[in-house]
Amino acid sequence: MSSALEATGLGVRYGRTWVLRDCSLSVPAGRVAALVGPNGAGKTTLMHTAVGLLRPAMGSVRVTGEAAFVAQDKPLYESFTVAEMLAFGRRMNRRWDDDAAAARLAGLGIPMRRKVGRLSGGQRAQVAVTLALAGQPDLLVLDEPLANLDPLARHEVMRSIMAEVAERQLTVLLSSHVVSDLEETCDWLIVLNAGRLQVSGDIEELLAGHLVVTGPDEASIAGTRVVSASRTGRQVSMLVRGGPPLDPRWQARSPGLEELVMGYLRSPESAALPKPAGVGS
Amino acid sequence: MIWVTWRQHRAQILVTAAFLALLGVLLLGSAVEAGLYVAGHAPPGCPGPAVACGDLAAALERRYDAVYSLFGWMPLVAPALIGAFWGAPLLGREYERGTHRLAWTQSVPVGRWLAVKLAILGGAVVAGGLLLSLMVSLWRPVFKAGADSSFGNIGVFNMVGVDPAAWWLYAFALGTAAGALFRRTLPAMALVVAGVTVTMFTLFRLSDYYAEPARTELSGTVVLDDGDARLVSAAWVEPSGREVADPSDSRCPRRVDAGQSSRNTEAWQACLFGKGYRFAVYYHPPSRFWRFQWTEAGILTLASAALGGLAVRRTLRRSA
Repeated sequence: MSSALEATGLGVRYGRTWVLRDCSLSVPAGRVAALVGPNGAGKTTLMHTAVGLLRPAMGSVRVTGEAAFVAQDKPLYESFTVAEMLAFGRRMNRRWDDDAAAARLAGLGIPMRRKVGRLSGGQRAQVAVTLALAGQPDLLVLDEPLANLDPLARHEVMRSIMAEVAERQLTVLLSSHVVSDLEETCDWLIVLNAGRLQVSGDIEELLAGHLVVTGPDEASIAGTRVVSASRTGRQVSMLVRGGPPLDPRWQARSPGLEELVMGYLRSPESAALPKPAGVGS
Repeated sequence: MIWVTWRQHRAQILVTAAFLALLGVLLLGSAVEAGLYVAGHAPPGCPGPAVACGDLAAALERRYDAVYSLFGWMPLVAPALIGAFWGAPLLGREYERGTHRLAWTQSVPVGRWLAVKLAILGGAVVAGGLLLSLMVSLWRPVFKAGADSSFGNIGVFNMVGVDPAAWWLYAFALGTAAGALFRRTLPAMALVVAGVTVTMFTLFRLSDYYAEPARTELSGTVVLDDGDARLVSAAWVEPSGREVADPSDSRCPRRVDAGQSSRNTEAWQACLFGKGYRFAVYYHPPSRFWRFQWTEAGILTLASAALGGLAVRRTLRRSA
C-alpha cells in the first residue's frame, strides 16, 4: 500500500520550544485518519507542516500528490460571495471541478450570491470543505472540521466528506479532541501527546491488539504489556497490549476506541508504533 | 491570480482612481476657467513680464492658491494613505483573518501569490503617482508662466516629475513590510504614517547634500535673484576675502528692529556693503531639478526594493 502522507523524524519548534519532536508516521492512501490528542498536543502544528504552512526544523514530511487544507477557523474572504469564493478556487488551483462544487453547494441549499460573512457556521464549514474538495486533492487535511458546529451540521459535514471518500481514492487526515466524533468514520488512528507521537495504526488492528482487563489489586501482571492502569478502590483496570495476563483473576474484554485513546494519553511514555523499519512500508 | 488581486484590492484601486479622476476634473476646470479669464481680461502682451501684466498675474495667483490649497497636502498625505490602505492590509489582513492559511494552501505557490500581488499593486501605485505628476505638471504652467517654483518649493517638487511615483511606491512597500512584521493591519497603518513622515523630513534635510551647492557672491543685496533656487547656507565675506558667519568687527552699527520693520537690518547690511563686504550664498539652482528628482527617486526605489524583499523573506520563511 503506498502512503499518502509520510513524516520522517519530524521536529517543529516555535522559537526555542519544540512543539513536535521525532515524529515518524505514514498514512496509507485511501484511509481516513483520525489525529487525536489533548489541546496543545501538536495536532495543528503537524497539519500545518504537512500542507507547507510551516517549515520543519528537523526531518521531513511528504505528501503524495496534491493536498488541500481546511484550517480550524474555516478561513474564507468575508466580503466575497460564495460564487466569488469558487472563482478564487478556480484561479488558484491547477485542478478544479467547478460543476461538482456548484452542484454540492446547490444540494446543501447555500445561495451562490450570498456574502460569505453572512453565512451560518455550518454553511461556512460546508463552503470551506467544498472549496477543498473541488481542487480534487489526493490528501484532504481538516483541522477540527467539526468544532463550533451543532450536531446536525457536524453530521452533514462528515457525510459530505465520506461521500467523497467513497467516490474516489482520497486520503483524509482530520483532527479532533473529541474521540466520539471519529469513531464511525475513521479507519486509521494517530495519537499525539505533548508533541510526541504515541499511536499510529489501523484502528481495527489496534482494537484487536489491545484488551481492557479488570481484576483485584494484588493480581499478578506477569505475561502482559501494560499500557496504563487506573485504580478504583481495590479494583484495577488496565489497558494491555497483546494477550491477557496469566493470572486467572483478570477479566478481559475488547476496548472501545475512546478507551484505547484515553489509555495511551494517560501514560505518555507508552507507545504503539510500527517498528522503525515498518514506517513507510 | 490577476482576478484574485483585483477582487481583493478593488476597493483601494477604485477609491484611488476616483480620487485622481476628481482631482483631474478639478484641475481641468480650474485651468479652463483661468484660460477664459486670461482671454477676456489680459492686456495685449500678457501674461508676461511687462508691468501692465501685474494685475493679471495677481488674479492668476489668487486662482492658483485657491485650488492649490485643496491638494497641497498631497505630497505627505497621499503616500501615507497609499501605504496604509494598499500596503498594510496586503499581508496584515491575511494574517489577521487567518485567510493566509487558505490562500497559501492552494496550488499557486506562496512566492508567486506574493510576486503577482506586489507587481500588480506596485505597478498600479507607480502609475497613479505618475498620473498625479502629469496632471499637476500640465495644470501649473497655466498660472505660472515664466515663474516656476517646482524646484524651490518642496511640496510642489514632490508632486511633479517622477517623485510622486517613487513616494507612493515607497509607502506601499513600507506598508506591506509592516503588515508582514506585525501581522496586524492597524499597527502596520500606524507605522506607515510615522514612517512616511519621518522619511519625508529626513530626505528634506538630506536633499541639501544631493549635490555640491553652487556659490555666488552678492553685493548690494542679500536676496538671490532666482526665486526657485534652494538656499543651503549664507555667509558674509570680508574685504580680505575671508568668510565669516558674523561680521562683528565691521564697526557697522547693528540696531534691533522693532515689529515688522527691517529698516535697521537693511541699514546695517548697506553699511557692510559700503565697507566692501560681500554676501556669499550657497544654493542649488533650479537647473538641478532632474538631478534631484532622480536622486530622491533612486533612494526611495532602493528603499522600496529592500522593504519588499523583507516582506517576501518574512512571508516565505513561514512560521505559524
